[in-house]
Amino acid sequence: MTSIDNAPEFIEATLDLPVRYLDRSRAYYLSLGYDNPYRWACHQDSPFAPLRKPLRECRVALVTTAAPYNPEAGEQGPRAPYNARAKFTNVYTMPVEPAPDLRISHVGYDRKHTSAEDINTYLPLARMKEAAVAGRVGQLNPRLYGVPTLRSQRLTNERDAPEILSLCRQEGIDAAVLVAT
Amino acid sequence: MSLVARHLEANGIPTVVMGCARDIVEHCGVARFLFSDFPLGNSCGKPHDVEMQRATLGMALDLLESASAPRTTVQTPFRWAPEAAWKRDFYRLDLTPEQIARAREEFDTQKATLKEKLDAG
Repeated sequence: MTSIDNAPEFIEATLDLPVRYLDRSRAYYLSLGYDNPYRWACHQDSPFAPLRKPLRECRVALVTTAAPYNPEAGEQGPRAPYNARAKFTNVYTMPVEPAPDLRISHVGYDRKHTSAEDINTYLPLARMKEAAVAGRVGQLNPRLYGVPTLRSQRLTNERDAPEILSLCRQEGIDAAVLVAT
Repeated sequence: MSLVARHLEANGIPTVVMGCARDIVEHCGVARFLFSDFPLGNSCGKPHDVEMQRATLGMALDLLESASAPRTTVQTPFRWAPEAAWKRDFYRLDLTPEQIARAREEFDTQKATLKEKLDAG
């Protein structure tokens, strides 16, 4: 076996394991010659808040890392190359009606095997509206919340997460669905 | 996104995270996680497969109600493709020197763009 056959990506494909992005991204950036790979957040504990009432009575907020389409920020369509210009730098809120045009060209999704051509793969807004109509959830919050992806855990922890919490409190949110991209 | 979920949980608001990077979310540690073993970008199901998207969100909502302890991960039953070959291709490690040079240039440009945006507020 050559060394490439032993590479993690081959083992993951051969054994059909979930991709280990922690290892993969670390090895990738080291292979490019960068010597300070990103250190992902790691916690031993994990806080847990139980649902306080039936979901059919809850007001549920949708939280996304997708970015509002910005005509001045270059290519953001399906399979657009990674586009840092399309990033947003502060928490935003948008009405869920009419459905906002949110894109993911500013994050590292798999551009070879998927396309971001269907917003419903990364923003379950249409499906949430159906769930609300069906009575599965009490109410979809009329505004969704956007969280920036800035490779800064300090900004996320100290600025953005408290802002999302504050919005949730103001708007009487009982539970939140957060979609990572 | 996992950090935001943790902050909400710590302050009494239950959450469910939907995602495709199992190790990253579990490393961070969240209360409830619905994992789709799909290429990044498909946390809510396959493109144009409304039934799968509906079922995926349904599982996330079920998890909100059913989890009794933190770090509860549920994996959807769906497969991206009959073969798992797609798992080789993200962040490929077998790049040629020319590809490495291009990737570095691209990364440095994007990083500078992000820094400009952050500096501008």
